[in-house]
Amino acid sequence: MSLVQGAHPQTSQPPAAQRATFMTLPEFNTPAAWLAAVILVIMPLIANGFFLIEIFATTLILGTIALSLMFLAGYGGMVSLMQLTVAGFAAYMVAVFGMSANTNISLGWPWWLATPTALLLATVFGTLGGALAVRTEGIYTIMITLAIGAAFYYFTNQNWPIFGGHTGINTVATPKFWGVDWRADIPFYYVTLGVAAFCYFAVQYVSRAPFGLALQGVRDNPRRMAALGFNVNAHRVAAYAFAAFIAALGGVLQVWNYRQISPGSVSVGACIDILIIAVVGGITRPVGPYIGAFIFVILRTFALDLLVKFGLDGNRFRLLIGLGFLAIVFWSSDGVIGLWERWRRHTAAPEKRAARGHGHG
Amino acid sequence: MTRFIERHPAWALIALIAVALLLWLILAVWPPGLEEAIGRKRVFLNAVLNGITLGALYFLVASGFTLIFGLMRNVNLAHGSLYLFGGYVGYAISVWTGSWILGFIIAFVAVALVGIVLQIAVFRRMEGQDLRQTMVTIGLSIVFADLMLWAFGGDFYQIQTPSWLIGPVELPLVTAVKSSGEAVYLRYPLVRLVIFVAAIVIGIVMWLALNRTRVGMMVRAGVDDRDMLAATGVPIQLVFVAVFALGAGLAGIAGVVGGTFQSISPGEDTRFLLASLVVVIVGGMGSIPGAALGAVIIGLAEQLGSVYIPTYAIVVTFLIMVLVLALRPQGLLARR
Amino acid sequence: MDSTTPRFSAVAAGAALELRGVTRLFGALAALTDVTITVRPGERRAVLGSNGAGKTTLFNCVTGDFPPSSGTIRFFGEDITHFPPYERIRRGLRRTYQISALFPGLTVRDNVYLACRGVSRGRFSPLRPGTNDALMSAAETLIQAVHLMPVREQRVSELAHGQQRQLEIALALAGAPRFILFDEPAAGLSPTERRELIEILTSLPAHIGYIIIEHDMDVALRVVESVTMMHNGRVFKEGLPHEIEADPEVQELYLGAGHE
Repeated sequence: MSLVQGAHPQTSQPPAAQRATFMTLPEFNTPAAWLAAVILVIMPLIANGFFLIEIFATTLILGTIALSLMFLAGYGGMVSLMQLTVAGFAAYMVAVFGMSANTNISLGWPWWLATPTALLLATVFGTLGGALAVRTEGIYTIMITLAIGAAFYYFTNQNWPIFGGHTGINTVATPKFWGVDWRADIPFYYVTLGVAAFCYFAVQYVSRAPFGLALQGVRDNPRRMAALGFNVNAHRVAAYAFAAFIAALGGVLQVWNYRQISPGSVSVGACIDILIIAVVGGITRPVGPYIGAFIFVILRTFALDLLVKFGLDGNRFRLLIGLGFLAIVFWSSDGVIGLWERWRRHTAAPEKRAARGHGHG
Repeated sequence: MTRFIERHPAWALIALIAVALLLWLILAVWPPGLEEAIGRKRVFLNAVLNGITLGALYFLVASGFTLIFGLMRNVNLAHGSLYLFGGYVGYAISVWTGSWILGFIIAFVAVALVGIVLQIAVFRRMEGQDLRQTMVTIGLSIVFADLMLWAFGGDFYQIQTPSWLIGPVELPLVTAVKSSGEAVYLRYPLVRLVIFVAAIVIGIVMWLALNRTRVGMMVRAGVDDRDMLAATGVPIQLVFVAVFALGAGLAGIAGVVGGTFQSISPGEDTRFLLASLVVVIVGGMGSIPGAALGAVIIGLAEQLGSVYIPTYAIVVTFLIMVLVLALRPQGLLARR
Repeated sequence: MDSTTPRFSAVAAGAALELRGVTRLFGALAALTDVTITVRPGERRAVLGSNGAGKTTLFNCVTGDFPPSSGTIRFFGEDITHFPPYERIRRGLRRTYQISALFPGLTVRDNVYLACRGVSRGRFSPLRPGTNDALMSAAETLIQAVHLMPVREQRVSELAHGQQRQLEIALALAGAPRFILFDEPAAGLSPTERRELIEILTSLPAHIGYIIIEHDMDVALRVVESVTMMHNGRVFKEGLPHEIEADPEVQELYLGAGHE
């Protein structure tokens, strides 16, 4: 489990600084973070519809789903490959309970009823999957969650009455109220930004609350946690429930974004993409998945043009992703954030020695 | 076995009744009421035989997977890619030389070589970091999948069954009795039976090699306690390479079998990876007999499921996995 | 449960810890055979014995890390034989580990805070503790008691060995312990640290009983009132410290011959 346990979050941060900001958010005190926040908020002034939705909203959605994996893996030491499946389940439930072109499947509930139902059911689904996964430990988690994800994918393919078989459910209705079409580019961008920010801060906050601290204790030494009075497995299952809710939020946004859901969205490859996003971004802190998602989306969108420009076959996007992922796994235990911090420490080394205790990244 | 019966008499009884019932369904002439209720016996027998032979194929894939995991604690998620690669190599060789057998041999050697390269170039460099190794195998599976898509395209390939194995044979299993009193016997493709027998032979040889030879003892000792094995001065790296080569080679052979039974195409890697995962979760990680038992159970569940409850077939497989995890999380035949 | 005040009412009721015929098998190997031990509330006892005598297995059986294969364990009259470890801990049982079992990625304060949280309500609380959180100040008190105030913000992985041993003890003192199992707390400590350890042990409130596994007779016999000798997974002899020290059989077995 070295990838998760080997690199503990905020290693470069002096503990005193961390404690001084106990009630605030330790990651949110750098100028870079504020700059990023401001840019995200005024994004619609900068970017047009294509960039706003295809790049930034998609990044925020994928990042949120990957955030749920980061929470489980980084704080709980449980690498779950079924987080996209939970998101996909929520997306299917929105389509099944809400309105869509598949009138024989969709129940036609209004969005404000269908969405909470979908969130609830997906959270239950993720919790049950988690309860199954915690029956074993460590590396087995990957296998079981992957098996759950794959089983769901094949099931959606086979099943027509509820999941619409391999064509899925199309033209899913999106919310419109207060005279606003919330799927229009700019409102939808703000919806995704709001949800992503909520999830990001929720994870950040919970990580220092008793629940999150205990989860990190379970990651480091489950036997000792039991000897301190904690029910370790209950804690793990609760972590799956929390993560499932975050993933479900991402799934609802995803189905609103594409207005359709089909087995292709919950394929094994897509499950693994979420792992790649989280690992490439960095699995030890909540900002990692969003960085990973941004890199992933940029590559996916522009790799074709880029590859063709270099005289290569444009269809080799997956190869590029695979090689990039391998490179990150080989050279950094904490994704690109880890690489970046190492580089900063390297370049700032002489300064830092002079002003020890102040120079954190 | 006797210990199991002593410890869990109720489960042993249930298993015994299930096996007896299955045998009766296979051997007896079905009474008319039963045929009305669940359909023709021929359909059922075909599903059972398909299930068992599919189980043989799953066993070939999963035994390599479980062997590699057992010794190196490496969940090789690129195992499906090795299977698919074996299938493509087998196809290319059988087309080029016209020899099915040669396809097997070359596929085994080629995929085993890939396994050796992987072991030496990748896994040896991150020993003991099982999660990181698993991540690497995920990356490799993506790269391999795309390279193979590049080289072979998205087409379906079927490996030609050699002429001496083409055609059905009559089995001494009665499917029905004609009104004249003449028994109708089941006809079943010879090639699938041959593969089934071959899988059994391979399984027994592996079991013997692990349990009766010195090298096998070393490997098993390593499964139980790697540090101890290292401490005895055994060239553990060599053992690792050999086991990885064998496990990969088996996946390669399985690819040729799969290409003959069914077909090979992009996406089959994931399918067989999933099959291996479920088989070893059910049978027990690191256990060869467990892989055999799990493979037959999953093969049967898949085939019977697709005949009798087509839109929920995968659910049966999945429920078996859930049941095993709930009752015996280490798998049916794991020692732990 | 939140209260840190000792529960004197429980002290009156029979034995604190009562093992009856406890046997633990590992495969065919018996690590413990028919062990029967009774410890009064507030009693302090040493368990002596050479390596492999079954001392740590005894602890593991009591805390439920490895439940006994047969026999019963009662804790203040309640049969806890089949309880999961955390249920035993919540009833006031505590232990330390021979090899420090801490959370290296967390700070000293978070370690102790977790220990306090584990035996109180709100283990799943998603709300961060406020500045005047009762458990946070309880944690501070404990950190002070084991002399770790100067390093309380440091990650455990950065601590020296002796400090980790002290933290180990702090974790066992969290909440309202009624009975503690100390597994070689003095292992690897310097003479100064040993003196501090003895001071911590002797200044524990009188109602808290404990069993201590210790090879260092100077430490062990100074902080206990009774001794159990174990040999090959069985109870070999029980008595007062001076009796055990003077016992010729014990001397032959352990003090004289057995230099572990």
